[in-house]
Amino acid sequence: MSSTGTGIQPPPRVIEAARSPLMASAFAGRTKVLPILELALLIAASIAPLVLRDYITVYATRVLILCLFALSFDLVWGYAGILSLGQSLFFGMAGYGVALLSRDFGVGSIFAVLPAGTLIGFVAALLLAGFLLLGRHPSSVVFVSLGTMTGAYAADRLARGSHYLGGQNGIPSIQPMTIGSHELSEGPGFYYLVLAILVLIYLLSRFLLRSQFGLALAGLRENEQRIAFLGYKVQHLKAIIFAISGAIAGTAGSLYAFHEGFVWTNMLGVVMSTQVVLYVLFGGSGTLIGAVIGTAIVEGLSFWLSDNYRDIWPIILGVLLLLVILFRPLGLISLVLGERERVGHFGPSLKEKRNAAP
Amino acid sequence: MDTLLIAMFEILSFGAIVVLVVLGLGIIASMMGIFNFAQGEFVLLGAYVTYLVHSVGLPVPLGMLAAPVAVGALGFVLEKLVVRRFYLAPIVAMLGTYALGLIIREAVRGLTGGLYVSVPEPISGSITIGSLHFATWRGVIVIITLLVIAASHALLAYTSFGLRVRASLENPQLARASGISTGMIYSLTFAFGAALAGLAGALIVPVFSLFADLGIRFLIQGFVAVMVGGVGSFAGPVAGASVIGTFSAWLPWLMSPVIADVLVFVLAIIFIKFRPQGLVSGRGVNR
Repeated sequence: MSSTGTGIQPPPRVIEAARSPLMASAFAGRTKVLPILELALLIAASIAPLVLRDYITVYATRVLILCLFALSFDLVWGYAGILSLGQSLFFGMAGYGVALLSRDFGVGSIFAVLPAGTLIGFVAALLLAGFLLLGRHPSSVVFVSLGTMTGAYAADRLARGSHYLGGQNGIPSIQPMTIGSHELSEGPGFYYLVLAILVLIYLLSRFLLRSQFGLALAGLRENEQRIAFLGYKVQHLKAIIFAISGAIAGTAGSLYAFHEGFVWTNMLGVVMSTQVVLYVLFGGSGTLIGAVIGTAIVEGLSFWLSDNYRDIWPIILGVLLLLVILFRPLGLISLVLGERERVGHFGPSLKEKRNAAP
Repeated sequence: MDTLLIAMFEILSFGAIVVLVVLGLGIIASMMGIFNFAQGEFVLLGAYVTYLVHSVGLPVPLGMLAAPVAVGALGFVLEKLVVRRFYLAPIVAMLGTYALGLIIREAVRGLTGGLYVSVPEPISGSITIGSLHFATWRGVIVIITLLVIAASHALLAYTSFGLRVRASLENPQLARASGISTGMIYSLTFAFGAALAGLAGALIVPVFSLFADLGIRFLIQGFVAVMVGGVGSFAGPVAGASVIGTFSAWLPWLMSPVIADVLVFVLAIIFIKFRPQGLVSGRGVNR
């Protein structure tokens, strides 16, 4: 069982094609859907609180936080081919971490809790990656997915059994997050804060993935051995992206804890890990916007359907997921985005390269 | 001394349950290279069929006979419709079977109303040896497990069907060229693995009672056991399941159950990290 040929990903030659100057110029001439899509979503997200009712804005804030969480999973699975079935571990640990900060030390300042949550996610992911990914034997995808899943399951069990962490009930009534002396409660204010963080992290990830580092990642997703032969330290690359994704999940987790006002064991366990896999596969792994769209669609449908069809909604979700995996392995995003644009280009922008060439 | 004997019986019977659950998972993983994430839900479904038969007033043993047949048939259909599209992409197979499992789990949750439902033991009471009492049903599970292992091994090692399965595993092209319908073999193997899970679910439902998340716990346990034992052989998963089952039942006698539960998994993951090939390396079915 090797990590190559997962079937969801495009074949390697597509990437090479996108890099060759001839194809690149043809590519540059076409209308690009991706930036338009991104801009349209950003505008829609910016004006949403102005037209939506308050309780829907609160729900939309939660969706945005989950989008951030989905981005973190997309980074590891969609770009580096690491199937992390325990992504909720970092989300939940950060959530519990900031909840404890708030409960035991009365710390609620955004400038303390967000970095703390991010750091918790980063360190936890780095440690787990150090164990699962580094070492003499290269780890198989199945081993990594099993290891991460076990991590999430173990954390869930321990949190349930721990009196200090509130057991089954979790930690209720966390104080609101503060900026200076201003208390941030649910509503448009919180919404715009989350949106700003999401956009920032989205752009940073986009920049990171379009750099040489991103190219090496995409290469190792396609053919790990080949990248290793080119002299890259494959395991280190994987560990780095895993830790970064853990940090993003940590940011999302701490935002989630303060937004909901409480943390409970589902945040740590298999339930949340499953959710994030659903989001990303639905929208389309390997594109950042796919993760965002997937989250929005799944959560939107769930909001709309769960009132009337609460019992059968999870079944519908499972069926939809199965259909997407079977017939649209690239996710819903592949309906509007061409293969070439989905893969994109890497390194310095194409324009400079064309000018430099004689 | 008495406590020790009781403890050993407990450990043995729990180990047998784990082996029973893992056997089907191991056969599908070893023979077909597919990590079936819906296996836990096949166990759940077996338990549910037993409950269903019981709830319409028929005897429980009848339900236990019906469960492997029903789940095996479902496995056959699912393989034909869904799983066979995944053979070239084992990772996608994990996600696809995961979706299948989600559907089954949520369907059962809807059907049981999210409650814990219990099914009585078909053979209740206990056997008394000297001053010791052993639950009869747990003893029956141990015996059935041993029979099932022996029968599965015999099926794969000594029958012409087993020969075809092993041939399809070893070299699919050559098997096809020799006139073996590998597609049918894969369907039957998957159905067989599913039926074993169904049987496991049927036998353990009196012990654990039926609830929708019954499968998840066994899924992780099963995967860990298969990896510890080693993928690719018949003996591997059985050995792995025995080890995991023994530890899972033994450690709670020494420490708090929560810590024990987690510790087993963590130790297993560390073991796999340093010995990826598992306890039993090698492929195929030893005769």
